[in-house]
Amino acid sequence: MLRTRLLIGLLGVVVGVYGAYLWLSRQEGPQITSAAKWLVAGPILHDLVLSMAVILVVAVASRVVPDPARAPLAVGAIVLGSVSLIAVPMLGRYGEKPDNPTLLDRDYTTGWLVVAGLVLLGVLVATVVRARRSSGSSSDTP
Amino acid sequence: MTSTRLSDRFAATVATAQKAVPKEEDFTSRLRSPAIAARVGLWLGISFTVCFLTGLLSHYAQNPTQPVPFPTSPSWGYRVTQGLHVISGTVAIPLLLVKLWSVLPKFFSRPPLRELRALAVWVLEKASIGVLVGASIFMLASGLLNTAQWYPWEFSFRTTHYALAWVTIGSLVVHIAVKLPIIRDVLLADVDDTTHDRPTAVRPGALSRRGLLRTTWLAAGVAFLATAGSTVPLLRKISVFAVRTGEGPQGIPINRSAVVADIRDSDVGADWSLQLISSEAIRSWDRSSLAALTQREEKLPIACVEGWSATGTWTGVRLRDLLDLAGVPRGSDLQMVSIQRRGGYGTTVLPANFADDDRTLIALQLNGSDLDIDHGYPARLIAPNRPGVLQTKWLTRIEVL
Repeated sequence: MLRTRLLIGLLGVVVGVYGAYLWLSRQEGPQITSAAKWLVAGPILHDLVLSMAVILVVAVASRVVPDPARAPLAVGAIVLGSVSLIAVPMLGRYGEKPDNPTLLDRDYTTGWLVVAGLVLLGVLVATVVRARRSSGSSSDTP
Repeated sequence: MTSTRLSDRFAATVATAQKAVPKEEDFTSRLRSPAIAARVGLWLGISFTVCFLTGLLSHYAQNPTQPVPFPTSPSWGYRVTQGLHVISGTVAIPLLLVKLWSVLPKFFSRPPLRELRALAVWVLEKASIGVLVGASIFMLASGLLNTAQWYPWEFSFRTTHYALAWVTIGSLVVHIAVKLPIIRDVLLADVDDTTHDRPTAVRPGALSRRGLLRTTWLAAGVAFLATAGSTVPLLRKISVFAVRTGEGPQGIPINRSAVVADIRDSDVGADWSLQLISSEAIRSWDRSSLAALTQREEKLPIACVEGWSATGTWTGVRLRDLLDLAGVPRGSDLQMVSIQRRGGYGTTVLPANFADDDRTLIALQLNGSDLDIDHGYPARLIAPNRPGVLQTKWLTRIEVL
């Protein structure tokens, strides 16, 4: 088992080093520095900004949100949060080109509002159902 | 101030800093568990593998020299593989976010400073994870931005995305090799099993572990539905974040407009002609003489490297017919030259198997009318199973290599 793992690990190192060689050998200095900045910025933005923001939001939400809404809200936040992150380039229209109306040719803001509305509706319905179920079960018990 | 007091102060500062930064034990949710990480990681690994293989294929398809010629069939092959590439990368974003969330406490693990060997192992593992996380975020983010043609960087997208794909897969393989025993244990056990959990990870969260997993699959599913309409016609009305509706001049989107390519009226007027240059002869046709030749109709997709695609009905002259008129033998590689003055891929190699395929056209019309200037008027190449960027528009010359 250990030998197999060592071999797999070695294969991974070879593949990774080949990639690093491709990256560093086929472009000029400024291009490499630009990519290096992005490589480092990703984990920093994730680990120190996004993760901390999530921890903060969860800490606040766990004190404020009533019990029946907690699970539905968690589901809604994960779905809407991750999909909104994906939608950032479209919502910002950063790649828009005046000569090409076929690119980014939707009303993304309305689209996002629709998605957010549907998620909110789902959260509300699930919360009401859970609240009723829990109050029903508690009144059943003598 | 004496040196002892200074070192005391230093020690005190370090202690305060250590208190301020959370420790691995401070994360108490039982959802931050290898049971979650391995299950989400499994699907993340599958999606990265799909991205890697389809990416290699796409890279190869664009190579000017191909030891094994890229096949011309099925005509929709590249449409499917490149669509899969972008879809797989997009749905990986929610998966990566949940995966990283589940292992975040590891980011705060303290180095074993007293033991040199353990410290070396710790540093090596941290470094390999650092490379994996950095490269993974880079690949997904740069790919996503590329689909929306947003380039806030100086590097070449294609070169860097390709090179770092190898780094990502390499560091992923290392990561799997390191974690293999835990992955196996955890995947074979029940999702609520706590054998491999950190001792402090006992606090129940708002969701159960199954609930978090189902939510993750749901988020990936919503990401799919919200974006895949760029290439899956059935989803066009649903995909609110698709970068293309599939609409455009003559019912097909465009990527590079005539304005950007700097095509001028004089280029495409009555003086335009298509030259076929071989070592024996130079043949030349103006647009009306091309239209006078036998016209063929082919239903072929235009499939862009950025993941969008659309099918059109193209009408024009079969390329092989032109080559026969000029006496160019079968098996000849060609070079297609565009009038375009700006942008890459103005000159591309058309391998012999594409040149000889009956479906390869010098198209004059799209969906029943003359090509729009943005679709390559007066004439463009359209071949089966070929990346869109190589379907040369505003053709002016074909050179036999």
